[in-house]
Amino acid sequence: MSKIRSFFSRGRKVQTVDRFLSDLERRGLIMQSAGSADGAQWVVDGQPLRNFASCSYMGLEQHPALVDAAVRALRTYGSNFSISRAYLECDLYRALEDALDRMMDRHVMVAPSTTMAHLAGLPVLVGDRDLCVIDQFAHASMYMATELISDVPIELLRHSRLDLLEKILIDAGEKYDRVWYLCDGVYSMLGDFAPFAGLKDLLTRYPRLNLYVDDAHAMSWTGRHGRGAALTHLGESDRVVVAVSLSKAFGAVGGALAFPTQSQRERVRRCGGPMIFSGPIAPAGLGAGLASAELHLRPEFEAMQDELRERMELVRGGLEEAGLTLATDAETPIFVIHYDSALAAQNVVAALRDRGFFSCVSTFPAVPINKPSLRFTVSRHNSIADVKAMIETLVDVSTHTSPSVFGGTAPPPAPEEAEAEEAAAQSA
Amino acid sequence: MSSAPVSRPTIDDPAIAQVMNHLYAVISFEEGEEPDWQGLKDVFSKHARITRVTHEGTDHLEPTSFFEMTRNLVDLGAYTSFYEFEVARRVERFGEIAQVWSVYETRRNRGAREALGRGVNSIQLIRENDSWRVLGLLWDETHADSYLGFVNSPAGGHAHVQD
Repeated sequence: MSKIRSFFSRGRKVQTVDRFLSDLERRGLIMQSAGSADGAQWVVDGQPLRNFASCSYMGLEQHPALVDAAVRALRTYGSNFSISRAYLECDLYRALEDALDRMMDRHVMVAPSTTMAHLAGLPVLVGDRDLCVIDQFAHASMYMATELISDVPIELLRHSRLDLLEKILIDAGEKYDRVWYLCDGVYSMLGDFAPFAGLKDLLTRYPRLNLYVDDAHAMSWTGRHGRGAALTHLGESDRVVVAVSLSKAFGAVGGALAFPTQSQRERVRRCGGPMIFSGPIAPAGLGAGLASAELHLRPEFEAMQDELRERMELVRGGLEEAGLTLATDAETPIFVIHYDSALAAQNVVAALRDRGFFSCVSTFPAVPINKPSLRFTVSRHNSIADVKAMIETLVDVSTHTSPSVFGGTAPPPAPEEAEAEEAAAQSA
Repeated sequence: MSSAPVSRPTIDDPAIAQVMNHLYAVISFEEGEEPDWQGLKDVFSKHARITRVTHEGTDHLEPTSFFEMTRNLVDLGAYTSFYEFEVARRVERFGEIAQVWSVYETRRNRGAREALGRGVNSIQLIRENDSWRVLGLLWDETHADSYLGFVNSPAGGHAHVQD
């Protein structure tokens, strides 16, 4: 295990990040802007592109109930409600938190963003005599929050290596009041879940273990009432705090912390820095959030989750049939394919864009240097026909730009070869 | 005049080939594994200097700080697997010291079919206690695109492409 610190200086890291991202920007693969967006399609530089990159997996940002509620809130309260929540908050906050309590069966506190939720929560939750362990691929926003708790030991853990976590727990013994493990529920750049079964087992066997899970990418599309993956698997434990996003599949804006106890919630609400001094969420966002929470609580929400699941299964099955290996078997709406080089991954994303599909390239520092990737998502916005077209195009593009991605299986024949084979078969 | 033996550019010296193979082997590791830390220590002289020219500046490292940097990159997840191998080598030996130009290729793992990166290592070897060890390791990450130009140049033209 090692302490959380970098060999390189902050300035040096900025230089490196700047170089990598400048390269991608020059290729037109990042820092783009969309002229219009209806969920299913984004118009980028005048080119309509089918959206296979959104984190709005449930496609709720265009839902009439959310849009109408946002407009009502805007007309009632104006474009902002500008006063610290320590003094006074827009009453939509209370309504939203009550609805989220029912959704998640927890004590929920809404924050301006998931990052702000981490910055508010961790310094209050982690005690002076605690030890923190953070997964090496935990979301960058959690790493940011660990800067605020640098007075306690913080250890890095190889990704999801619960055997090493258990070793830390054994070594920690009674030296610390609590051992916090900070991880993601769904890792956004890899698409895999936290090892929930193993974590549940460790929680049972090590009473000093506490979990702090960033479940931003699992909110809404999975679990009862869309409560996400962490609460579905670990919700019964009173030693698990879950951070979620209201800005992704939930379709609104902001973040939230779901606590096992009301006292924890109240303490973070009173003492968490950003809860006092950070600007509140604009009323339109709160209105949309309240409408979304109410939608999540309706019986028909499960059918909406099923619609997304159908698309997820279609992608997984289609790619598997074509011999394209995904980075993980986890059934999430995030799909990652590793390529042998950053250039190969960039070429695939650029070729997809030329063919009318918006997807993302993931290279260092977002992912390890040895895992340059194509990252794409599906949402309820994508029609079944568009999902099929995306799979077909991706297979074709990979065949021509990076056939090694098919691994041990032979890549599908190029179109000309397929035609020749068909002609030969017919003449035979 | 000294009568110390001078070797022509060659890879025939099996002891030098061994240390070179070892150098590339210990730094490589597969998913879920780590570099061979002890092997890495053994391959370097304790007096070694490791110098890398990067786009962000030149790092001058002692073995301890080089190991620390490598471990930090692995711990932080900058690499979860790494495979580096030699594609060509030119060796000039004089007595107990040798200079090696070593053309390398990196891949994201042993099974990858395409290169992650390419370049040239300049390596100085010294015989210590009857074993060859790395006394100097220099590489330039800013000219990786032109490594083929080096291989085809008069200086690099003696490089022997490995099987």
